[in-house]
Amino acid sequence: MGLGDQDWREEEAIPLRSRSNSQPRGLFLACWLIGSLMVGFVVVPLIDLAATPSAASLASAARDADLRQAIALSLEAAFLTALLAALFGVPLAYTLARSRSRTSTTIAAIVDLPLAVPHTVAGIALLMAFGRRGILGAPALALFGMQFWGSLWGIIAGMLFVSVPYTVNAARLAFEAIDPRLEQVARTLGLGPWSTWLRIVLPLARRGILTGLTLTYARAISEFGAVIMLAYYPMTAPVQIYTLFLRFGITKAAAASVLLLAVCLGLFVLFRALAYGRAITVGTGR
Amino acid sequence: MTGHGILLDRLTVRLGAFSLNHMDIAVGAGERLVIIGPNGAGKSVTLETIAGFHSPRQGRIVIDGCEVTRLPPERRNVAFVLQNFGLFSHLSVTGNIMLGLHRMPRGRRQDRVAELLRQFGIGHLAARYPQSLSPGEKQRTGLARALAAEPAVFLFDEPFSALDAATHERMRRELLDFLTDTGIPAIFVTHDRSDAHALGTALAVMCAGTIVQQGPVHAVSRGPASRFVAGLLGVDNIFPARLMGESRGVATVASGGMTLHAVGRQTINNTSLDVLVAIRAEDIDILPPFSDHAVANRLAARILHVVDEGVLSRIGFNCGIALQALAMSRHVREMDLAPGSMVDIAISPEAIRLLPPDSGWLGATE
Amino acid sequence: MTRGANLAAVIGGLVLALVGGGAQADQPVHLKIFAAGTLAQPFQQLDALFRKQYPNVIPEPRFGGSVKMAREITELHQPADVLAVADYSVIPKYLFPDGGKPGYADWYVGFARNAITFMYTKNSKYAAEVTPDTWYRVLARHGVEIGRSNPDTDPSGYQTLQMLQLAGRYYRDPKLAEQILANAPPANMRDTETSLIAALQLGQIDYLAIYRSDALQHHLNYIDLPAAIDLSDPKDADLYKQAVADTQNGKLPGRPIVYAVTIPAHAPDAEWAAKYVALLLGPEGQRIMQQNGFGTMVPPYAVNATAMPASLQPLVKPWPGS
Repeated sequence: MGLGDQDWREEEAIPLRSRSNSQPRGLFLACWLIGSLMVGFVVVPLIDLAATPSAASLASAARDADLRQAIALSLEAAFLTALLAALFGVPLAYTLARSRSRTSTTIAAIVDLPLAVPHTVAGIALLMAFGRRGILGAPALALFGMQFWGSLWGIIAGMLFVSVPYTVNAARLAFEAIDPRLEQVARTLGLGPWSTWLRIVLPLARRGILTGLTLTYARAISEFGAVIMLAYYPMTAPVQIYTLFLRFGITKAAAASVLLLAVCLGLFVLFRALAYGRAITVGTGR
Repeated sequence: MTGHGILLDRLTVRLGAFSLNHMDIAVGAGERLVIIGPNGAGKSVTLETIAGFHSPRQGRIVIDGCEVTRLPPERRNVAFVLQNFGLFSHLSVTGNIMLGLHRMPRGRRQDRVAELLRQFGIGHLAARYPQSLSPGEKQRTGLARALAAEPAVFLFDEPFSALDAATHERMRRELLDFLTDTGIPAIFVTHDRSDAHALGTALAVMCAGTIVQQGPVHAVSRGPASRFVAGLLGVDNIFPARLMGESRGVATVASGGMTLHAVGRQTINNTSLDVLVAIRAEDIDILPPFSDHAVANRLAARILHVVDEGVLSRIGFNCGIALQALAMSRHVREMDLAPGSMVDIAISPEAIRLLPPDSGWLGATE
Repeated sequence: MTRGANLAAVIGGLVLALVGGGAQADQPVHLKIFAAGTLAQPFQQLDALFRKQYPNVIPEPRFGGSVKMAREITELHQPADVLAVADYSVIPKYLFPDGGKPGYADWYVGFARNAITFMYTKNSKYAAEVTPDTWYRVLARHGVEIGRSNPDTDPSGYQTLQMLQLAGRYYRDPKLAEQILANAPPANMRDTETSLIAALQLGQIDYLAIYRSDALQHHLNYIDLPAAIDLSDPKDADLYKQAVADTQNGKLPGRPIVYAVTIPAHAPDAEWAAKYVALLLGPEGQRIMQQNGFGTMVPPYAVNATAMPASLQPLVKPWPGS
């Protein structure tokens, strides 16, 4: 076939990042300056908080079994929340990305609604639906013995309600960015619709989906108002920290908060490394 | 048609307001059909229907003797090659090619991949990812992947758009070699006329969901059946004339004070004496001065402008009508042509096409 | 060019408004009132009355658990003009100076009484069988869900425990408290009882340990308990002392439920705060409290009356026994 011998110069594929050596300096500088105000707005209160407790109070917070248990419960419940968001939200996001009808735009708007609902109101609504006399809670209790009041399920319900929009939106954007023709190519190679979805579409959308799930996880950990309506005990970390504040004041609450933040920070760094670490090595193939 | 190849039999597709009407296409082994036409003509829809992404309302698609009209895309054995080759960025070159082999028993896959890598000369790229490949490397990977699935037909949708001229030519040559070697029938959709000539064995012109004219490449390009097809195929000189007479296969037409004789199969009917004359710019010869041997359709002309386009030059002149000729630039320089000069031009009678007067795009091929 | 000039004018106007607004002589006064959740309804009516009398003063009440309100003042240094709590002991415990801790208040006045009881709806389990004599047997039945607030963080929480102990003695049933509390597990607890009202109305719980005033305000049923157990009468204080609630903050002996008010130190508008408290302690304030189901205290009892603003001192009597 004669395709093997190259006696002409092959066009080099220039990596995108080095394509320009003259960027609008002034514009970038202005953006950094303005942006640094926003960064400061976020970072300064957190640093202030982190600096409040003494090393001793941090150590005592770390030794507090109730607090450790509350943090573990929060991490576990948020993980299950993210899992549910992935199982149910990602397929939904795919249909929203691929369909153009008025129904799908309406549904996309509905999925965003929980973001605008005050958390206490969300909690009451969930209690109404999932309580022992609720339209969903009563059959759940009767048929499966599943209780949402004062249980892990209730915590997950509160967390999921406020955090699922993040997964659906991020996944939807990720799917929209995949050219539908790529799916067509996969089909012609012999992959059925499900195979195409699992082996081509999902991997290509992986980054966006994981970003959405991370946001969902973070949002779930921090939820208070909706969760506390359904479940005070078992105590999640935010509820425990609140109780510490009521009983002991700011020092203990701040120490507990710093502990929670440290755990979360570690987790998020880990997530990012897992999600993007592989992608970083993908592009550099030379 | 038996054995290998693809057949479209009166295929009709409805997509909202758009429809493909009664498409008849046949492409056999070793043949390559190029579909050309303006935007919105339905070229991509045709490919997508063949691949199985639209359900036809009427008609059949037959591939290698089997009717596939109702089969889903993954059972049709069609290779769909897009612009930028549709490589999956989350898989390496090897991973992409493996995808084409998913029907092969696992044990044999490694060997087949190695074979394909060798065949296409991309063995050194096996672990690389599509983002870091050049267009030529992407094409070879895309073809290797398509070939891995052992397709019965190749479908190409504007494969060479957005490439610089040198790369375009190189890749076209490689693709042509590949198709001639494998003999797998192929259908191309393109805007590019030079691709149509270089790659195709047959040409189909589409407009608004219908094939307006199809046939062997040279037959169509030298014998457009209507003004629309002529314009699409790059005929620069189209002007109205009056049929003066016809005898023993020679037709005589007059326009703008000049008389021309045309021979060969013409596609007009005799109900009207008004015709359109179509002459390709490159078929007009500019005679060296003082050449006195008798040639057909010799006319005096005054040069209006000369545009040097590098290898070729476009010469606008007036011989009773303003026409364009295309000649090698070095000949133009040798003859010292300049605006205002008087020259003689000659047109071969076989190169003069007569078309029916403007009656839309259907011409006489109904 | 005119667009830029317009923008400058708008920004300049905003700056002037912000700066100039602070310089006006008769700008409205914002009176910051921190109050226990159960005082929500009466205090809103009191605020309306106060505004009618003094139109340039805007009361800005916020309601929550008594301890939470106290902590916001002492720990978060929120500026407060008036603090009203559901248990008078919260003020000396959290706001009085204590050894090295700086104080945020040094006096308080008890201005209303309440009773701790159980609130329920007509849909509550066995609601029809509840009477003042049989209630404790009904509430102890299997399958009844009872809600209460966290005794570690909220007065009504430990007051419920004290009431149940007193009931055990009164009805001579030593297992009474234990059996009833079995129906009020941690899952049914909240940081403050008002959070559970929604759960009661939705049928998630059948009986809610809460103040009588709340039951009256929400027009829901409540159990009429004898004064000997419902902490409603300061004259029974010695009896109440015998019930001790075991909490994470220590062992708390029972006390009559008396609502207390003070003006914290560093109050931004102390003079207006005094006028507000005067209205609360006077006949109009007492009438509002009574209409909302609270017990009255005429005249209100004060601890450390000499530390109070002079205008308020005539309105009170010293706390008996202090």
